[in-house]
Amino acid sequence: MITVRNLHKSFGQNEVLKGVDCEIKEREVVCVIGPSGSGKSTFLRCLNRLEDITSGEVIVLEKNITDPRIDINAVRREVGMVFQRFNLFPHKTVLENITLAPQMVRKESKAKARETALELLGKVGLRDKANAYPNQLSGGQQQRVAIARALAMNPKIMLFDEPTSALDPEMVGEVLDVMKKLAQEGMTMVVVTHEMGFAREVGDRVLFMDQGYIMEEGKPADLFGNPQNERTRNFLSKVL
Amino acid sequence: MTDFQWDALIKYLPYFFDGLVMTVELTVIAVILGTVLGLFAGMGRLTKIAPLRWLSNIYVGFFRGTPLFVQILLIHFAVMPGIFGKSSAFVSGIVALSLNAGAYIAEIFRAGIQSIDRGQMEAARSLGLTQGQAMRTVILPQAVRRMLPPLGNEAIMLLKDSSLLAAISLQEMTFYAKLMQGKTYLAWEPYLTLALMYLVLTMLLAQVVKFLERKYGTL
Repeated sequence: MITVRNLHKSFGQNEVLKGVDCEIKEREVVCVIGPSGSGKSTFLRCLNRLEDITSGEVIVLEKNITDPRIDINAVRREVGMVFQRFNLFPHKTVLENITLAPQMVRKESKAKARETALELLGKVGLRDKANAYPNQLSGGQQQRVAIARALAMNPKIMLFDEPTSALDPEMVGEVLDVMKKLAQEGMTMVVVTHEMGFAREVGDRVLFMDQGYIMEEGKPADLFGNPQNERTRNFLSKVL
Repeated sequence: MTDFQWDALIKYLPYFFDGLVMTVELTVIAVILGTVLGLFAGMGRLTKIAPLRWLSNIYVGFFRGTPLFVQILLIHFAVMPGIFGKSSAFVSGIVALSLNAGAYIAEIFRAGIQSIDRGQMEAARSLGLTQGQAMRTVILPQAVRRMLPPLGNEAIMLLKDSSLLAAISLQEMTFYAKLMQGKTYLAWEPYLTLALMYLVLTMLLAQVVKFLERKYGTL
């Protein structure tokens, strides 16, 4: 579903990604771990071109999104994204947050969008919050709404950018539970995370990034149980 | 002050009232046109398209960097006759005030748009919205709420600055006050009345802005 070849990304003089190669298959849950500043969030943001790609190829759903002529909005419709800081629209209710894109981009009727939204809110356990505003919700609730908002577009791939990093500890579980359910339903997911437990339990594959490279990748059991790379060992010894 | 000529003032009061209608009219039209101009120029200052950005920068730079009084004279006596062969004080007045307000409002829009967290735009774009759709439905509605106080200030400034249009004989409040002074040689009567009229208008406008802020300002 996603193929990345020799991806480079620089911010001015600062090269953040120094040649990343990676292949993500349908229904696969790939967790990206690594220290701060390793480039893992930037890598994720290149997958829907929220960051301009400096060089290399990123092919998402058979479209080369590095090509400036492709319709990036058409690709983004199929790729949901969940952010560290939720980024819900504060001037819209929970329901309006979720129905906005289906109505505006997919041209769904108001009734249909509403029906889907309520169904998704049920799925994330927030049906009773449909008419609340984001600032009336806890962080965990906001993040679950953000997941529902992304799912409302019926995406083929979901990207998660440290979805639990801005949450109070007691709210991490409720968000991870929703993500786990999603993974079990067969959603293709790329998850940048510091939740090693989640990566180990839910991930099909784990990528360890450091200094702009994927240093090591493998099945969670192998990467966590028997890391080959010195840096991976070093990192894991600090976080586990 | 003891011999304040009430009868002279009463005689001229209908003129003051005509002037008041004109002042309000000028202010309302200039605020509306200025907001439209300001929206485009403000977005122009933020666009990646270089020629549009330069154009917006030149426009804003010129109208913020020169006195409104000079702009009024330039537009009424040079620009309008140059383009249309003649010049009407009303049209020149509207054009000058709107262009001037537009430049200041452009900055209000730019600051308002830039004050919105960039995560909002990213979230909207990641859902497949185009830049324009995201601007219309996500960024601007939030930005406009934050812009209400400075926009209110700008409207009050505009109301007061419209007095400068007396210089091109546009028949607003100040024009009639000067007229009365010329005819009667009285000064306190016309100008104190004039000042109080502006004061009442600006206080009313401030109340309207306050009401709008309470209604739409909170998020």
